[in-house]
Amino acid sequence: MATAVAIATKESAQQIGIDADGNQFLTFQLGDELYGVDILRVQEIKGYTAVTKIPNTPDYIKGVMNLRGTIVPIVELRTTFGMPTIEYTMFTVIVVVVVRDRIMGLVVDSVSDVLNISKKDIQPPPDFGAKVDVSVLNGIGKSGDKLVALLNIDRLLTEGEMREAAAVASV
Amino acid sequence: MPQTVMVVDDSKTMRDMVTFTLTCAGYQVVQAGDGKEAVSKLSNGSKPSLVVTDLNMPEMDGIALIKEIRKMPALKFTPILMLTTESSDERKSEGKAAGATGWIVKPFNPEQFIKILKKVLPA
Amino acid sequence: MSDDFAQFNAAFFEEAAEHMTVIEAGLLDLEQRPADLDLLNKIFRSAHSIKGVAGMLGFTAVAQFTHKMETLLDQLRNGRIAVTQPMTDLLLKSTDCLKALIESAQNETTVDEAMVHPLEVQLAEASTVGIKVKDEATVEKVTGSSSPAALTSTSAAHSATGPLPLAASLSPAVHHFAIAWTPPAFLFQRGLDPQQIFKELGDLGTVSGVQLDSSHLPDPVGMDPEQCYLAWTLSLETTKSKEVVEGVFEFIREDSTLTIEERETLDVKRETQNERRTTNDVSRETCAAEGDEPKPLGEILIESGVVSRETLDHALAQQKRVGEILVEQHAATPQQISQALQKQQESVTHAKKGTDTASIRVDTAKIDKLINLVGELVITQSMLSDLSTRFEMSQLSVLLERVAQLERNTREIQERVMGIRMLPIGSAFNRFPRLVRDLSGKAGKKIQLVLSGEETELDKTVIESITDPLTHLVRNSADHGLEQPEERLASGKDEQGTIHLNAFHEGGNICITVADDGRGLNRDKILAKAIKSGLISEQDKLTDDQIWPLIFKPGFSTAEKVTDLSGRGVGMDVVKRNIESLGGTVSIKTVLGKGTTFTLKLPLTLAIIEGMTIRVGHETYILPMLSIVESIQPKADTVKTVVGKGEVMNVRGTYHPMMRLYEVFDLEPEYKDPTKAILMVLETEGERVAVMVDEILGQQQVVIKSMEQNFRKIEGIAGATILGDGTVGFILDVRGLLELARQGGPVTV
Repeated sequence: MATAVAIATKESAQQIGIDADGNQFLTFQLGDELYGVDILRVQEIKGYTAVTKIPNTPDYIKGVMNLRGTIVPIVELRTTFGMPTIEYTMFTVIVVVVVRDRIMGLVVDSVSDVLNISKKDIQPPPDFGAKVDVSVLNGIGKSGDKLVALLNIDRLLTEGEMREAAAVASV
Repeated sequence: MPQTVMVVDDSKTMRDMVTFTLTCAGYQVVQAGDGKEAVSKLSNGSKPSLVVTDLNMPEMDGIALIKEIRKMPALKFTPILMLTTESSDERKSEGKAAGATGWIVKPFNPEQFIKILKKVLPA
Repeated sequence: MSDDFAQFNAAFFEEAAEHMTVIEAGLLDLEQRPADLDLLNKIFRSAHSIKGVAGMLGFTAVAQFTHKMETLLDQLRNGRIAVTQPMTDLLLKSTDCLKALIESAQNETTVDEAMVHPLEVQLAEASTVGIKVKDEATVEKVTGSSSPAALTSTSAAHSATGPLPLAASLSPAVHHFAIAWTPPAFLFQRGLDPQQIFKELGDLGTVSGVQLDSSHLPDPVGMDPEQCYLAWTLSLETTKSKEVVEGVFEFIREDSTLTIEERETLDVKRETQNERRTTNDVSRETCAAEGDEPKPLGEILIESGVVSRETLDHALAQQKRVGEILVEQHAATPQQISQALQKQQESVTHAKKGTDTASIRVDTAKIDKLINLVGELVITQSMLSDLSTRFEMSQLSVLLERVAQLERNTREIQERVMGIRMLPIGSAFNRFPRLVRDLSGKAGKKIQLVLSGEETELDKTVIESITDPLTHLVRNSADHGLEQPEERLASGKDEQGTIHLNAFHEGGNICITVADDGRGLNRDKILAKAIKSGLISEQDKLTDDQIWPLIFKPGFSTAEKVTDLSGRGVGMDVVKRNIESLGGTVSIKTVLGKGTTFTLKLPLTLAIIEGMTIRVGHETYILPMLSIVESIQPKADTVKTVVGKGEVMNVRGTYHPMMRLYEVFDLEPEYKDPTKAILMVLETEGERVAVMVDEILGQQQVVIKSMEQNFRKIEGIAGATILGDGTVGFILDVRGLLELARQGGPVTV
């Protein structure tokens, strides 16, 4: 297990190298915490609209949405991170991101700013304990007095739904 | 005013390749899919500075087309190049007798093509 | 050389496919009418076209092989060799080989030399028969070598006869040529201009001492101004060789009196020639080398004698995959490796998808019509937005009228756009004359193939997907349906059997029938076989309509002997599955001793289906109309629970397995009592199932959207669609639902 963590950290360090070229992150709120995704991966931000539930899928897959004629899966980030769900408000939005040629939407509590975070202000993710799997983070960024957890969205999908998809495909 | 070249070939891909070669070299191109279409375009007032034609075509083949062109007063002395695949002397002689100016052997590359074209086409 | 033209590859492959169809169909016709010169010319032209363009694009293997076919075809059309059965056989076989060669050029794979070479030899042999001695030498030269270098060297030779031999730049020596040229009188009639020749000579070096010989000019009275009576002498100082200078006169040399004399020593000239030959050899080698892949390290080691092949093989056997090594060294977990492999697999399939760019040729008239329609749509839209900015209730009727117009426009555009993907089914029928010819040869039967309705149009994707099932059906008719000639004569039929392929539109569907006038399905044989293979029991009382579909069961085959053609028990079940996966159905009509007809019923397009919208709780789903048998509101005693098999429903004496959709999909329904709900009886692959839903909402056409594009396949769901309110609705997959129910409900993760 110790080896696996070491690997993850090494990988994350490489990921930082890649993301630091982008430097800009869209930040959003989940509860009290601030998260960020590489701005280059964000396609658009949409107000929350009703989604169609997909039968027999895990809870964090909210369902699918019609985005100008294409069917886009919607992921509930709170559930993904094991946080309690809350009532949706007028600030609840869907951040539409591109993950390996696929489009998906992430439900977040509200969007904040686009922050410039330089490479030196990004540190490898600390161990959050059981609450959050560190492998879905690229690192922790610092901007002024704010701390932002930078998401590795490729990993987010790989770790979650795609593993299941792979399992289905291999049956 | 760019010079116009008529390209006659029943293979669309071939026509397009020749057209590509010619347009890259700054010529204007009129296409025809066989001899009949070429004759109809030529008698409707199209007056190219040069005609490039394939020999094996349905409807009217290249040899017959060359003969027809030579009958048109306006095109009596217009250079005509034949596209031949092999150095088939028989077809080449037939073409020359019909009034073809010269020939280009396939496969060719754009440089070779333009070089031969410039042999017979006054700038 | 082909780099500039690489953009034309796709166009070539498309065109080549068309030519292959012409060649194949032509050869088949040729067997019937061996003396038809027009037909031969047509076949020749197609082969000629493929060769020409393939050569230009650097597909040397294709060009080379087509050249050999063309040589034989040329001999045939010139009447030097007679068209015989063995000839057409050879040419048809060659057509198959050429197809494979073109395919491999397209997929950038290699072709089995063992298939190509023997055919090349046979073609060359066939072409040589009855050829004059002079020509024989040429053929010998061309067919002598089958290496890719052969064609390259031919093209090198071509360029050598052109104006610029390669050695020119290598010989710096200055030559002095004395040139005397008397052009033929018809110089101008061939569109040649002496000025061009002088200009080109000037480009080679310095022209001096030009003398005009006008001594042959006739009296002005009898002179034809369009004739050339002049001759010239001149001297040229150039670094180019004599061949280059001669090249200037290439198009007119044979008809002129031309002397080019060099004033330098003869040695220089000979040297230049040698030099040129060497350069040519070098360029040929370079060309051949360029085509090769770099050799693997091991091969080089063996070649240079460092290791033996055994040592290398042994070393290779010890070599492990990177993943295994990483796991052993605890550098990565097996899960991480398998994830990475999955990723790799995905990118490979992705790359494959990317290269497969299909295109459709569209009649310009269709596009023009579409543009007009879009124009109308724009007008309607602007009228509507104009109306909406200053709308009053009094204008309601105008609004409704405009909306109706919008609907008309939209529908018409939809139809036209669909029409773009529509192709005549003839393109799928084309392959069957050849197939039937081969089948009748192998089975020793006389078979006539009749095609009709070839012009019937349907979606390109559907055409592509039905070719295989149709092939199975035609094979089946030829092999099982039709009898041997003796048997046919004995039962008072014509010795020659007939297979009739027909296509026609019926409602929103297309029907394709494969009919034979053979022995018909044998009820007893099928029953015996079905009982033997445990599909039914001896007690089962089955009607004819229940018996015939048994032949679509996996593993079912009544052919007494397994033949090369069909009858391995695979095929008919695949046919049915393929057709059903396209949203279609297969039905059988048969009369003992008279023949069998298979009817395929298919939707015109895969993009839109006719669906029934149903509701369970708050969710809306769509059921494909083709799968719906009936809907029933059951009485209390019709639903029973069978131990170990779950619930079943009695529909007029037959029991169907029953499935509650809310259970399968884990939803909160309105009704849990079957007598209040609706039961939809659905059919898939001959199996029926009753699915319980809350309510039927209505029937509508839905556009199928992919779930896999951004997500993945969901069991029990065939795809998604956008409903009238803009939300997503799922189209149910009946087969998948049945599987889910069998597994005993969903596996919730």
